[in-house]
Amino acid sequence: MMSLAPAQSRRHRLPPRTVRVTMRARQTRQLTLRGRTLDDHDSTAHRADRLRRALIAVAAGQAYGIDAILATEGPLLLGVARRILGRSDLAEEALQDAMLQVWRKAHQWDAAHGSARGWICAVLRNRCLNMLRDGKRLALMDPADLAVLQDNRQQVVPEEGWEILCAPTRLRDCLHTLDDASRHAILLAHVAGFTHDEIAARTTAPLGSVKSMIRRGLQRLKECLG
Amino acid sequence: MTQLSQEIVDLVPDHVLGLLSPSEDALMAELSARDADLATLVGDLRDRLLPLDLSATPQPLPAGFTATVLSRIATLPQGALVAPANIPAAPRRLWPGLAAAVVGLAVGLGAATLRPRPAPQVVAVLVDDAGVPQAVVDDYGNDTATVRFVADITVPDDRALQVWTLPSADMGPVSLGVLDGRMAADLRFDDLPDPAAQQLYEVTLEPLGGSPTGRPTGPIIGKGLAAAQTGA
Repeated sequence: MMSLAPAQSRRHRLPPRTVRVTMRARQTRQLTLRGRTLDDHDSTAHRADRLRRALIAVAAGQAYGIDAILATEGPLLLGVARRILGRSDLAEEALQDAMLQVWRKAHQWDAAHGSARGWICAVLRNRCLNMLRDGKRLALMDPADLAVLQDNRQQVVPEEGWEILCAPTRLRDCLHTLDDASRHAILLAHVAGFTHDEIAARTTAPLGSVKSMIRRGLQRLKECLG
Repeated sequence: MTQLSQEIVDLVPDHVLGLLSPSEDALMAELSARDADLATLVGDLRDRLLPLDLSATPQPLPAGFTATVLSRIATLPQGALVAPANIPAAPRRLWPGLAAAVVGLAVGLGAATLRPRPAPQVVAVLVDDAGVPQAVVDDYGNDTATVRFVADITVPDDRALQVWTLPSADMGPVSLGVLDGRMAADLRFDDLPDPAAQQLYEVTLEPLGGSPTGRPTGPIIGKGLAAAQTGA
């Protein structure tokens, strides 16, 4: 974090218009290189590394690690929460709570078992799902708000054009190999946070077949991913 | 992967997708914290599915967001809600027994998850001296809770299992109920404060009909601290 301070203050001194032009030029250059570029890889890898170091700092009781996580991936994390919860206020609450849990539980994370980003996203998704499944909280919500929330969730996973939910990666290629029903069920669960029961109701498939469809689909995904 | 049973491995995808019930989820978290192979399976699947999370549209953090988080954690001791540190990791040789336990849990909860039920306010995984999960208590508040056993516990004919909690040091241990056999049970009790994170739960072996003194007297089958399910 410290090493970034001079660069940030320099950027702030530039007139905003100059910044915009620079960014557009950079985007154009990237697009010319077959969609994915070394720059993309570098920045993704760089962010992953910053997250890893930030989480190590949090585990050591350093609050600046939380600051670094939010500076690196805060907007994406808020976007993940917003997509599941459908409302900005709930998403902000979920991310706040998740960061508190990250603070408390960071010592449980072990880099040997998975990435920092994966772990942080899991903590956040968990918190979002708990909020969605909290009967008391839902009972307190205004019925109109509740309707908006449900409507939003219905639209997270489109019937057509699911590819919008997954960047062109090996995962997307492998999702393509699944039958439509399994893929749809997996996306409803992971991206929109639906339960087995909700997926069954939504797809009019029996609960048992929804469960086995998801399990089988994930097994095939893992085999495809190698 | 040596001794992990297929039943535990089968729960990994549902755990990662967030499809397990709170008790199953708590148990999987507990088991992964104790077994590197299981933790790797979980972490690996999470990482493979990460492109789905990365597809969310980023939302700018509102002004002052980070400052609010930092001020909230400043008031918070670290490690406040995690499992008690004094529970030793389960020795590897206990895995086969644990695997059997989880099969029981998965089967036992299969039927229960079909019934609509409010989310529990806290879940406590009760472990024995060796750190092996024995039972899971879901406390729903409003003086209702459920207990499920996830290990094979021998209850002599002249003994009964009794579930306890410690709402506060002032109140001392309070009985949540005496069990008939060691089946999963719904517990109803009177006038307890709503459960809180880190509240102690335990199961003891008592005379038939329950402890004569109203306090736990027999050997402890398992104990554990509650983890909040809905509040942070």
